[in-house]
Amino acid sequence: MKTKRLISVGAAMATIALAGAALSGCSTGGSGTTGGTQTDSGGKITVWVDPPRVPAADAFKKAHPEIDINIVQIDGTVGGKTVQQQFAQFDAAKKGWPDAIFFPSNDDIAWATSAKSNYAADLTDIMADTISGFDPAVLGMCNIGDKIRCLRNDAAPDVFWYNAKFFADNGYTVPTTWEDYAKLGAKIASEHPGKISGFTGDAYAPDRYLWAADCPTNNTVDATTVQINLADPKCTRAKDLLTTLYDGKALSTDGIFDADAAKVGPDLVMSPGAVWWGDYLFNQTWKIPAGTMQASAPLTWEGESKPSTGDEGGGLWGLSSHIKGKQLKNAETFMKFVVSDPSWQVDLSTGLPAFKAVQDDWIAKQSAANYYADTKATFEAFKPAISAVPGDHKYQLYNTGSVWTETVAPALVAGKSFDDAWSAFDQDLNSQAKAQGYKVVTSK
Amino acid sequence: MTTGIAGTTRAPERRRTAAGRRRVLRRIETRGAWTLLSPYIVLLLIAGVIPIGYALFVSLQKTPTNLEPNLSGFGGIDAFVTAFTDYRFLQTFANVFSVLIIWLPLMIIGIVGMALLVHASPGRFGNAMRFIYYIPGALAGVANLMLWVYLLNPAQSPIGGFWHALGFETIKAVVASPGTLPPILTAMLFFQGIGTWVVIVNGGLNGIPDEIFEAASIDGANAWNLAWRIKIPLIRPWIGYAALMNLAYGFQLFLEPYLLDQVAGGALPDQYTPTQLGFWFAFANSNFPAAAAMSLVVLVITLGIGLIIVFRSGLFGEEEK
Repeated sequence: MKTKRLISVGAAMATIALAGAALSGCSTGGSGTTGGTQTDSGGKITVWVDPPRVPAADAFKKAHPEIDINIVQIDGTVGGKTVQQQFAQFDAAKKGWPDAIFFPSNDDIAWATSAKSNYAADLTDIMADTISGFDPAVLGMCNIGDKIRCLRNDAAPDVFWYNAKFFADNGYTVPTTWEDYAKLGAKIASEHPGKISGFTGDAYAPDRYLWAADCPTNNTVDATTVQINLADPKCTRAKDLLTTLYDGKALSTDGIFDADAAKVGPDLVMSPGAVWWGDYLFNQTWKIPAGTMQASAPLTWEGESKPSTGDEGGGLWGLSSHIKGKQLKNAETFMKFVVSDPSWQVDLSTGLPAFKAVQDDWIAKQSAANYYADTKATFEAFKPAISAVPGDHKYQLYNTGSVWTETVAPALVAGKSFDDAWSAFDQDLNSQAKAQGYKVVTSK
Repeated sequence: MTTGIAGTTRAPERRRTAAGRRRVLRRIETRGAWTLLSPYIVLLLIAGVIPIGYALFVSLQKTPTNLEPNLSGFGGIDAFVTAFTDYRFLQTFANVFSVLIIWLPLMIIGIVGMALLVHASPGRFGNAMRFIYYIPGALAGVANLMLWVYLLNPAQSPIGGFWHALGFETIKAVVASPGTLPPILTAMLFFQGIGTWVVIVNGGLNGIPDEIFEAASIDGANAWNLAWRIKIPLIRPWIGYAALMNLAYGFQLFLEPYLLDQVAGGALPDQYTPTQLGFWFAFANSNFPAAAAMSLVVLVITLGIGLIIVFRSGLFGEEEK
């Protein structure tokens, strides 16, 4: 009796559910590519910025009182999914997108330029003037299918950081090749236990070592095909380097952003690291005394003539492809302002400007603090590092950084061999890429 | 006399009337039941049945993904195939089971044990303990997580000595070392949830008439017999209810592993549980049909286990008593 009644209730619910499905059915199904129609608000623009970029938008508002602007502060978590989630809803509703955005993660550019979202406008022609003010190398990650789809807020190439005081006190020579860096790191760790020469636990670690080695983890072959080949000699040289450092106990398994890193940070004797490490990590976060740290030019791989280095972040600005007319013009004005205007890029921004014309003013302003052991030499290393970043590396729908942190970091924390950590990374990276729908090839 | 005549003549009529009255009563009763149920049914439709129907509908569609913008139309079971064959699918369920297998028995034993202890200590002491048990559950989710971040960080934790003894020096080592996550999640879920359930099950114990205990005492039952032979059998529906709700919660695990991953510098798998995998399908892969398929898989499992517990525990058990 009871069971029968339950079944009939169940049947009634199923009927209602199907009716509900039929009712709501018209809203989904075959929406195809979005962005067909463009709208014009008559001038008012809405911009989305993460917390550190709010001053940029405020500076724009002050400089352009004639433009009606709505500034929205968004979740700035690197690797977060909230922005992508909201965009998925805008795409379904076919409205609601911001007119310009600072992407919280650089990887966001992958979905924002995907054929489905197609949010980020092609800037190649409409902002040609502004684009000509960038070193093409700095816009490499925005160059997607030979179109410029975003602008860099700041350049974040890796330079070679070292503790100049420690080197002078102990009579070590600053390495210039990656191989020497590995050997010296292991040597220092054995002679001064506890001194470390690198961090492996953050999402930028693969950028720091694998991107620097020009290892194919993120290389685009075509829109749906990527090249991943961790057995490539360019990858194995990075693997050998990290193995030497790891076996020599010269690596911290922490990530640079971990709270625990502040404790070991002062024991860092040398490491490749982004130009923003100097002020943000050493000075503000780890409180390393002035006159200690210093940067030199990026390292060179043995057998190569030019230095090669990774890139850690350096945020991206995107413009909506869904607008036209006055609204588009104002959004373009905003884009141009935030990448090139000194009132933001020189006076307020903490990163090396990607836009060439304001770089020297920023360096002059930052040098005034005289924080480094040799401030002049440090800043001289910054600009040339930009062109040492291999250009084949593009952001993809799979996130190489988070695959790294969830495979390599736990393996090393558990005391496994670097070989094991590497295999886990290799396997997961390929699986992630395939799960996203990419065809994965090992050579171009 | 007249009454007699009236009686004989009206007898069949009266019988008819009585039957009619019963029918009317039953109709009023039914109408009353539906009236009382209606607010719940509206909620059930909006928050349960229609979303489930919609999920079923979406899971049978093909919608554009980032890499294939031209997909559309009827997809059959494609989305389910995508979900089932994903390289993380089985692992996510294995992960949830590895948590449930430790957590659920502990939770049920803990709830029943503590509720019995509270019930056996009447007066101010029992009330105070009930309140103390309830405190961790009363902390809001975020505050609770902050508490755990402190506890799990060997550098700050009051149980730092314990972590150091196990060889863990950083919070990353604590949560990301092999095998540590299920016990940690168990501990988080246990302290977060147990207080509320102790109060609920204690409510069930308070509903048992005192005469039963008196009768048992006269028959020579000690406190142990009382708990084991009288109280536990009588609160079986409450225990079943606790098991059901906690099981459902366990299968929908999302927030705890998600937030622990953030404090551990991303060292935990981003798709540790089935709901996290569903989230990935929806918002990292733009594959809403596969996300809907994942949610239906979780629904079928929790509903299935739920129904078993409902019938085994006699939760709606008036008829079975």
